Amino acid sequence: MIKIKEAIILTGDILIFTKDVFARTFNAPFYFARLFDQILQIGYGSLSISIVIGFVTGLVMTLQFGYGLAKFGGTLYVPAIVSVSLLRELAPIFTSLLIAGRVGSGISAEIGAMNVTNQIDAVRALGTSPIRTLVVPRVLATIITLPLLATLASFTGIIGGMLISYLEFGMTPGFYSNKVLSTIVFADIFGSMIKCAFFGLVISILACYRGFHTKEGTRGVGNATTWVVVRSSIIILISDFFLSKVILLGFY
Amino acid sequence: MEILTLKNIHKAFGEKKVHQGVSFSLHSGETIGLLGNSGTGKSVLLRSIIGLERIDAGEIYYRSQRLDILDEEAYYPIRKKISYSFQNSALFDSLNVFDNIAYPLFEHTSLTEEEIHKKVDDILNLIDLPHAKYLMPSDLSGGMQKRVGLARSMILTPEILLYDEPTAGLDPVNTDIVIDIMNEFKKRGFSGIFVTHDIPAAKRVCDRILILRDGKIYFNGTKQEFIDSTDPFVNTFGSNNKGPL
Repeated sequence: MIKIKEAIILTGDILIFTKDVFARTFNAPFYFARLFDQILQIGYGSLSISIVIGFVTGLVMTLQFGYGLAKFGGTLYVPAIVSVSLLRELAPIFTSLLIAGRVGSGISAEIGAMNVTNQIDAVRALGTSPIRTLVVPRVLATIITLPLLATLASFTGIIGGMLISYLEFGMTPGFYSNKVLSTIVFADIFGSMIKCAFFGLVISILACYRGFHTKEGTRGVGNATTWVVVRSSIIILISDFFLSKVILLGFY
Repeated sequence: MEILTLKNIHKAFGEKKVHQGVSFSLHSGETIGLLGNSGTGKSVLLRSIIGLERIDAGEIYYRSQRLDILDEEAYYPIRKKISYSFQNSALFDSLNVFDNIAYPLFEHTSLTEEEIHKKVDDILNLIDLPHAKYLMPSDLSGGMQKRVGLARSMILTPEILLYDEPTAGLDPVNTDIVIDIMNEFKKRGFSGIFVTHDIPAAKRVCDRILILRDGKIYFNGTKQEFIDSTDPFVNTFGSNNKGPL
């Protein structure tokens, strides 16, 4: 009973924090240089790992579906299945989980360490808002970069699938590309980007919130990173089902 | 003229009552020494003045403006006038000394980069760290960090500076440098509240001494009254040790 009450209070706190972030996102002063810096750190910094994850997922999926469907003479459907599953589900989920681990933990550790060393109080004492200077750039950067990273992961996955389709099943790249292009629609890409933007919001808000509430010194910083990765991963996986349902109803 | 007034301040953390009716005033150009045993809420009082902590009851006035009722955003302009120097310096560890000191200038002024460099160079000379401009906080000693923290809190030339134990943990040479900086600031006509356990330092800087005890101001007198006091509790702070005046 106490845990449920705590969970409700925590959810309320996080929603109030989110409201504060939105309230300070759309009015001056704006910190464009910090936003650009965060986009570089979060986006550019996660580029290589996103490409690897997308590419390897494409390779494995093509291999598994290719041999699985070959039993029923369905190898020709591999490009369609791989591209749609990558774009709609696998790339957004895998990339978001990766960003939750890499970026979410990084943000919470950085802000948490600032909190326990009074640096956030120093930002306030110097007449500036830590929400504006620290949180808004990180939240916006994550919302902007995560959809782009997931889309990139999808396309590298599709290229990986093309490679395996050619090497293992003798499917020409031209045929593969035609099949992919005739299958995917704009809603696949758009829906994936909407999902990722939401996941980016969840990861960055949880990371910043937890960073702001970090206590107990360095031990608290460690606990904060674990908390953020676990919570945001669970929320991503659960909300993915509901978002997929809404997107299927709304765009198809 | 009173520029800061605290009236009947109450503050508690859960069951622990820290302040139970603290009242005093700070006059223009004056530096007050705030003494008290550890855990009596000296730092909490400074943090309450600039709104980093919220008081439970009472009133805080900066000139005629009531501060304790302001929300966080409304407090920001006040923090350009009342500056706080943290006990642990609280330097931004991802920024070098120049960026730390220049942070308020970039945020609150329309000075050019060249003018900002000039102001930072001037204050680095004042704190005797002209060579440290591009060092990171982790490259500085504790005493140097305290001086950079002081410089950052002074750079906007606030009217009131709240010093939270600026000499704590410093060797005598660094203590002397910090006291000289505080006296230089005082000479320029600024006011301050100096929280410290360092009685000789308080005697060298302060015009008036306040002692917090049991959540209230137990003693409020001039430096001479503090030295001449026969009160046994006041004497536990070494008031009657005839240190340098």
